[in-house]
Amino acid sequence: MPLAGVRVVDVGNFLAGPFAATLLAEFGAEVIKVEHPIGGDPMRRFGTATERPDATLAWLSESRNKRSVTIDLLQPEGAELFMRLLEKSDVLVENFRPGTFESWGLTWDAIRARNPKLVMLRVTGYGQTGPYRRRSGFAHIAQAFGGLNYLAGFPGETPVLPGTVPLGDYIASLFGSIGVMVALRHAERTGRGQVIDVGIYETVFRVLEEIAAAYGLHGTVREREGSGSFVACPHGHFKTANDKWIAIACTTDKMFERLAQAMGEPELASASKWGDQRKRLAARDEVNRTVTAWVGSMERNEVLQKCLDAEVPVGKVNSIADIFADEHFAARDDLARMPAYGLGEVVVPNVIPKLSATPGRITNLGPTLGNATAEVLQDLLGMQAEDLQRLRQQRIV
Amino acid sequence: MSPAPVSLPSTPLPLAGLRVIDMATVIAAPFCATLLGEFGADVIKLEHPDGGDALRRFGTPSVRGDTLTWLSEGRNKRSITLELRTPEGAEVFKKLVAEADVVCENFRTGTLEKWGLGWEVLRQINPRLVMLRVTGYGQTGPYADRPGFARVAHAVGGIAYLAGMPKGTPVTPGSTTLGDYMTGLFGCLGVLMALKHRDATGEGQYVDAALYESVFRCTEELAPAFAMYGLVRERAGSSHNDFAVPHGHFATKDSKWVALSCATDMLFGRLCQAMGRPELAHTSTYGEQRTRLEHRHEVNEIVRDWCLSLNREELLARCYATDTPAGPLNNIADIFGDRQFHARRNLLVFDAPDSGEQVVVPAPVPRLSETPGSIRSLGPKLGEHTDEILREIIGLDDDAIANLRAKKAIA
Repeated sequence: MPLAGVRVVDVGNFLAGPFAATLLAEFGAEVIKVEHPIGGDPMRRFGTATERPDATLAWLSESRNKRSVTIDLLQPEGAELFMRLLEKSDVLVENFRPGTFESWGLTWDAIRARNPKLVMLRVTGYGQTGPYRRRSGFAHIAQAFGGLNYLAGFPGETPVLPGTVPLGDYIASLFGSIGVMVALRHAERTGRGQVIDVGIYETVFRVLEEIAAAYGLHGTVREREGSGSFVACPHGHFKTANDKWIAIACTTDKMFERLAQAMGEPELASASKWGDQRKRLAARDEVNRTVTAWVGSMERNEVLQKCLDAEVPVGKVNSIADIFADEHFAARDDLARMPAYGLGEVVVPNVIPKLSATPGRITNLGPTLGNATAEVLQDLLGMQAEDLQRLRQQRIV
Repeated sequence: MSPAPVSLPSTPLPLAGLRVIDMATVIAAPFCATLLGEFGADVIKLEHPDGGDALRRFGTPSVRGDTLTWLSEGRNKRSITLELRTPEGAEVFKKLVAEADVVCENFRTGTLEKWGLGWEVLRQINPRLVMLRVTGYGQTGPYADRPGFARVAHAVGGIAYLAGMPKGTPVTPGSTTLGDYMTGLFGCLGVLMALKHRDATGEGQYVDAALYESVFRCTEELAPAFAMYGLVRERAGSSHNDFAVPHGHFATKDSKWVALSCATDMLFGRLCQAMGRPELAHTSTYGEQRTRLEHRHEVNEIVRDWCLSLNREELLARCYATDTPAGPLNNIADIFGDRQFHARRNLLVFDAPDSGEQVVVPAPVPRLSETPGSIRSLGPKLGEHTDEILREIIGLDDDAIANLRAKKAIA
């Protein structure tokens, strides 16, 4: 495992930040999830409930490979215990609002004084600086602020959610984990740790192609494009005769030529008709109507097969039921079955990306609250049993 | 407010000394190289002599004849043209691979192998090599040979199905290339982990990234909820109310949009304060999430009416005053006018090479305190650095370069 020997303390809540720790854990990092003794991470209660009061399905899946230690950081003795844990760690992940961590005495300067090599990932809605830094920022708000949500939906109509709710949390965490890897490399070579400051909104904004450049130069404000695309046609979602949906992406003229072949109407791709992307974009309503009529004349499997035979980029618009039935998901082992304490088997998305020599793996699903408190405090920090007992009585752990 | 002019930090670049060959096209695998380049890797963009990377033609045209997307995402790269299907071109490629740490590619499965440049050949040349392979469906499985674009990956990976009005047409989840960027991110993380393993053991490897998997990985509990309860999540429109109410997009009096998110009872209490209706947060009314979920239509209607009674700016000011999670659905014009984007210098302006066009691009993220990433140049012209790279990295002289040109191995 490429990250064996790397110890990560994850004191974040929900997904933005903690997912970065999850990614590191999948590849061998030892991740210690530090939670409040009462209730722990609210992610444990977010999503679909299970028979276990401390675990929703979202918690079980996304807290994979972590161990849980409870510490009350609001108590000075708890904060000191936390510092001792940081002395023995390589990475700290947190996502409190700027100022919160500091109010417990856990400033970056204090932390760095105890462990100069530590890499600290801080994820918040708006980042650690700027006028909005103290605003509460959940993924949904930060995605909207970053410009993504404005773009989902039909032109002139209500903007919709772009797929899953915490998409921005995932994207921010991916950027964050890359930052951690880069900073770990620097720390190994120089002995110097640093802070990685991630605003969810800016990671979402970063992946919106050229909208900044196009507005800056030409004043172009990109609007919602419905199920289609402004730059290519036909490029969108089409309904089949059995009320299912497929996606077709004719990004280039060659792809459209193949589609015209599949449709049995090769003349549609002639230079005088719609062979050229510009002509198709100019006639997009008519092109889309033609494709819609063709797709709508057949059941999904049949239209898919015709497209696949002609090598048209095409795919089912999969529901989760479709995904479970799909042979490619099965062949790539994309669905992992894992035992969860007290619940039997739970199916979760498997580890990606796939590394050829050192693949990642799931060793356990989201832990019960405080399952490793004694182990970590005694083995790692060398605490005596009676001290642990006292901390428990004082509700510090 | 205008975007910030560029000033380069004097801090060290943490990936200085790494050499990356980006022989991929469009966004997914090249974005991995872009990220590595921002943190100091030397990225060599290896392109076909005839037109190069298709990203040069994707998006709004620039004066220079490529596109704004290319100028932005080709940042920090040096371009060399190489025809891999000539023996001389393949030979040059092998010599470059011998001097590289990372190769990023996204050809259809089997293409590089057909040219005699597959993983097994490259690892012989350079056992320390890390190779990122991005395709629509991955290197294995029954669909491995199918062409894959992000549009299709959004569909196959399960997020297109979830975007749109209930029972309406599924829509693009915000941006047609989202899955490309997400795969570039997963791929980049994989490359950095593989480099760490390589540095420790000397062993290289390849990273197999599939567009659809990147999307599917970010679907929270879709899979476990289906497996355990048979729940098939459907399109939620503008409000996702399976777990929390209110939670969605609301129109304001001036026909703009805001996002509101009350994940907990405490946050709903704050919203009620902002609305001037604290009584709605009592346990006897809508104070508990359970009650709100049961009466989601009534609650959403109350919030909707309130939002429609105020202009966006005033509504948000009231939300911020009570610390209610709320924000605007920014379009790009809103973003250019926003104080937070400017304070964090998220927008950087460059004079485009050759044309002097003012090109505004997103600054590198994430921001590292000691070794921040930077943009040293925008997307290069096709083959702009061919001769320089051939001289510097594999030590060719003028005659050798002229010979390659005569053989049409380079342009």
